[in-house]
Amino acid sequence: MTRAALTTLTVAVLATCTSAGLAATPRAARPSVPVTQPLVILLQDHVARASASTHARVIEPVAAMRPLTQVRTVLPVMGAVRGKDGNRWIHVRLPGRPSGHTGWILADQTVRSSTEWRIVVKVSTRRVTVYRDGLVVRAFPAVVPKASTPTPYGQFFVEEALAISPHDPGGPYALAISARSDIFQEFEGGPGQIAIHGTGGLLDPLGSAASHGCIRISPAAITWMSSRIGGGVPVTVER
Amino acid sequence: MRFPIRSKRGRRAGLALVAGLACVVTAVTPQASAVGLGTAQSFVVLAGSTATNTGPSVLNGDLGVAPGTALVGFGLPAVVNGATHAADGVAAQAQLDLTTAYNVAASQPVPPGNVLTGTDLGNRTLGAGAYRYSTSAQLTGALTLDASGDPNAQFVFEIGSTLTTASASSVLLVNGASPCNVYWQIGSSATLGTTTAFQGNLMALTSISLNNGATVIGRALARNGAVTLNNNVLDNSRCSTGSTPGGGTTPGGGTTGGGTTGGGTTPGGAAETPAARSARLASEAARVSNPKSTTTRNGTTSFQRTPHATCTSGFRATVHGKLIKRVTFSLDGKKIQSNAKRPFVVFVRSLPGSHNVTAHVSFKDATRAKTLALGYRACADAVLRPKAGPSQFTG
Repeated sequence: MTRAALTTLTVAVLATCTSAGLAATPRAARPSVPVTQPLVILLQDHVARASASTHARVIEPVAAMRPLTQVRTVLPVMGAVRGKDGNRWIHVRLPGRPSGHTGWILADQTVRSSTEWRIVVKVSTRRVTVYRDGLVVRAFPAVVPKASTPTPYGQFFVEEALAISPHDPGGPYALAISARSDIFQEFEGGPGQIAIHGTGGLLDPLGSAASHGCIRISPAAITWMSSRIGGGVPVTVER
Repeated sequence: MRFPIRSKRGRRAGLALVAGLACVVTAVTPQASAVGLGTAQSFVVLAGSTATNTGPSVLNGDLGVAPGTALVGFGLPAVVNGATHAADGVAAQAQLDLTTAYNVAASQPVPPGNVLTGTDLGNRTLGAGAYRYSTSAQLTGALTLDASGDPNAQFVFEIGSTLTTASASSVLLVNGASPCNVYWQIGSSATLGTTTAFQGNLMALTSISLNNGATVIGRALARNGAVTLNNNVLDNSRCSTGSTPGGGTTPGGGTTGGGTTGGGTTPGGAAETPAARSARLASEAARVSNPKSTTTRNGTTSFQRTPHATCTSGFRATVHGKLIKRVTFSLDGKKIQSNAKRPFVVFVRSLPGSHNVTAHVSFKDATRAKTLALGYRACADAVLRPKAGPSQFTG
């Protein structure tokens, strides 16, 4: 064996040993969901289009303020490009029907932000899990929808957080999300909007499948969440 | 000059031609000229007596007050992405420049057709030019300003007393219009109603008040009185070139494709300003007197932050090094401060989330300019307090 071949073999063996040793070393908990989510805050009303062009099909107008509490609209960002027209465009998730739809808005009149929070609702295990920096910080048992009034599955986001009157069901707080019921076009005067809210005034036990599309968690749990989680935070609803 | 038109028919035709030309001349709206803000351009809020804020307002640009001294309520949860000047020389100079700009705007000639006294600005579209309200002006609904494809189109509104907007009113800019080129010269005070989405440079003789949720893409500059904010966003980042001493960039530079173009200070260029010219001559003189400066590359830098916590409300970024000529700090790609003297320090605060702070460093010798970067995460508010709303979900 030549000296060069011996050197190559030695390096290869060392590399194998090193990588094996590293693999055997215990690692810190690795995030199971993305660590942060880029967001964009709308400074004025926008128009969402099907692609990054002023000539693209208009999907819908997007108001700068959310309708229930008049807080500023915050949308999750999926990407950004400079269009052929020279404008900067942002690909965002949009609220409303069809649930989980997306569109492109001009970057003008917006401000960048991000969030380290994320919510995952797993309907089959009837559980709401809250992540921060990609790591689980809380998990709560939930009342999930009954089979006849399912909630949409997919990627959504918190539109706005709101305090609910003690005289109304579902208090003390609600996180109104961007999804809409596929069953109810209208419910209690609203557009069939899905929310994660409390069980105030509602008797179904946590862990049951009894709601009309919303996700209910204990008053303590929704109080904890609504004091930390605001507009734009991603919500994943899984089967 | 005489026109020898001898026949009667020829004279009639000549008169018709002259009359036609006169009609054409009167139909064209005279273009308003640019209003230079001078050193006031780096300010997003400038007050005369006091600037007061309530709630989580965001200011992208410098904040200042002069000759008053009070800046109240600009700590967290408010965020100021820019320098703060309370009754210092920078704010005083900015007030002087604001006075000049105010007077330039107030003296723009207004054609008779552009006198809008007694009408509402809402639900109408206006082209470039100067407009006048001899008394107060009201905006109810949307005002559209149409630049007709000219990114340097100027819009000047000369308002005799107050400007008031109704709730949810807005100023929309179309066909290349830039908020940097819209000037509101207000004879007394301006009040923007709740959630108004306003654009342009508000220059009020007395005070400016923004009600809850109102936004301004441009600036709020008050000469003698107060600027009062309440949960607002004000952004001049597309117009400002940062707090550069002696800036003096003309706003006529305009904005193209989201990027800000400066005043065109190329050596030998026709648009070079006196300040830029003197800076260039000084630089050339220094180069001649110190020939080593064009050959040595001894510049060094380091970029540090304090505190080092993973999540902070804000932090101090400092550039150390040798032979540093200028440091320009940017937050998420937008210039927030530029220093030509030590210490090269900026305090950065921003909205919750991850952000990038960069420092572009140029040197006194031939060392190549470099851009240094730091990442940081601004903490979310410890406790959010959702507003009350109706329970109208699917339950």
